[in-house]
Amino acid sequence: MNSPATKRRSLVDWFFFDWHEAGALGAVRFYFGLGLAVYLYYQFDQNLKIDAFGPHFHFTRPIWYFSLLGIDTNIPWISYLVMILLIAACLFFALGKWTKPAIIAIILGIFYMKGVRDSFSGDVHHREIPIFALLVLFFFSKCDRMFGIDARKKNLAPIEPWESSWPLRAMQVYIAMFYFWALMAKLRLSGFDWFTGGGRIQEVLISRAVRDGFTPTGEVVNLSLGWDLAQVPGLVWFFGALVFAFELFFPLILLVRDWRLKLIALLGATCFHLANYFLMNVQFFLYPFVFVTFFNMNVFHDWLMGKLRLRKAGRAAAT
Amino acid sequence: MTSKQSAKRFLAVYFVIFFGAIFLRVDYFPLSWVPMYGYHVTGPDVTVAIGNKDERERGFAAQRANGQRLYVSADDLGVPNANFRRLYHQRAFNNGPPQDDRERAALMSFNRWWYETLVGPDPRLDRRYADQLLVSVNKTFGYGKADPRRIVRLEASLDFASFEHADVAVGNLSRPRIQRRTAIITEQGSFLRKGDVTTPMPRRSERGAVE
Repeated sequence: MNSPATKRRSLVDWFFFDWHEAGALGAVRFYFGLGLAVYLYYQFDQNLKIDAFGPHFHFTRPIWYFSLLGIDTNIPWISYLVMILLIAACLFFALGKWTKPAIIAIILGIFYMKGVRDSFSGDVHHREIPIFALLVLFFFSKCDRMFGIDARKKNLAPIEPWESSWPLRAMQVYIAMFYFWALMAKLRLSGFDWFTGGGRIQEVLISRAVRDGFTPTGEVVNLSLGWDLAQVPGLVWFFGALVFAFELFFPLILLVRDWRLKLIALLGATCFHLANYFLMNVQFFLYPFVFVTFFNMNVFHDWLMGKLRLRKAGRAAAT
Repeated sequence: MTSKQSAKRFLAVYFVIFFGAIFLRVDYFPLSWVPMYGYHVTGPDVTVAIGNKDERERGFAAQRANGQRLYVSADDLGVPNANFRRLYHQRAFNNGPPQDDRERAALMSFNRWWYETLVGPDPRLDRRYADQLLVSVNKTFGYGKADPRRIVRLEASLDFASFEHADVAVGNLSRPRIQRRTAIITEQGSFLRKGDVTTPMPRRSERGAVE
């Protein structure tokens, strides 16, 4: 008979170690790395929208680690250099070449580029927080042992399924709980006021829509869809209720094994991010690339390669 | 991790750190309790800044110590447009970044204790965002305190629209109260002009729904 301690251990084993195939971690690293390059470029391209050799702005409110390090001025050309290194590091990470050093380079690049972007005016954005947490897991996992250049060249021994499974499951927990904590934060700060009537969503819709003003004909310059939506409070409330339900129940995805069900849930989450972007210009729209962590991407990769090989063979036969 | 046991220990530490931050309401990168757009105070009305791209591109109306008048734009300062919008719309009007507004809101006593002990006083109690802007501008240009070229006055003008809560509740955004406001930032302090009335910039009040 199992003791309670054994049962607890078994539950942890079931949850973290018994979920993915051995090849999944490396394949996720590959697709995650490619997505990360695009995601980070869009997060930080703002730093490149100034003259590389122009004025050195003295930050109004340096982010905390810039304050500690005494970095109080932007030297624009450094951002151009760091961006090149950051994207290169993402590609090395994706391809499994110098994987662990590449993770450190990405983290340092994120710290620098985020520091610059957020220190101009002091608004500290949250879009890199999950990325950092996931990179920590990649770093401490054996993500470099399969599906990469180094693994192939050095002929590394394959990893066990449990070694692939726990980092991916931990990533999924972090991602799923990120939504749940966001709901808790709303309730801790604002209670149900956040959702009452149009609530906070309606307020953001209005303020975002008018921040670039109106055209001579009285239309808002940007985000007209958000402006229109703000005038239908019932619909705004409905979307608020959807947000509540989505953020409350999203962690249930952690108990789903069927990839089709997961895909449906994650497509819903993707719609949520895209709607936030189109209605309020919330820049999380490329964030859904992190959802590759929920799947056995090695299976997807084999399927994709099979399709490509078939297509190539078909073309060769035709010629 | 070479064994399941070491992986479990790592996961325990990992989640204690990342989820511990949620309990403690830490919001310093790379930790966060994910508050983002969570702060909402229902006021008597919803007041928002109506941007004007042309005015913003022209920049702050400025005056040097030697009396010369000029405009200070995003390009002059080397600031990306999105950040310059925040400087122009928010900091100039002494509104801080959202994290300053929500950091100490509705804190439980233990979290209030550690914030006040380790971080310092509530940033809402002594807001000097507008003053910081003037300091940044002069430091960016390399002007010292006695330099006659130094900027001694910055002005940002914006229309603000106030929507009655009753109107917002029924989706009627057609009749806002529009008011022209000008932020005036000088070495002697910052001021807010509404219509013909100029008053010192509020340093302690709650911020409106200005994004």
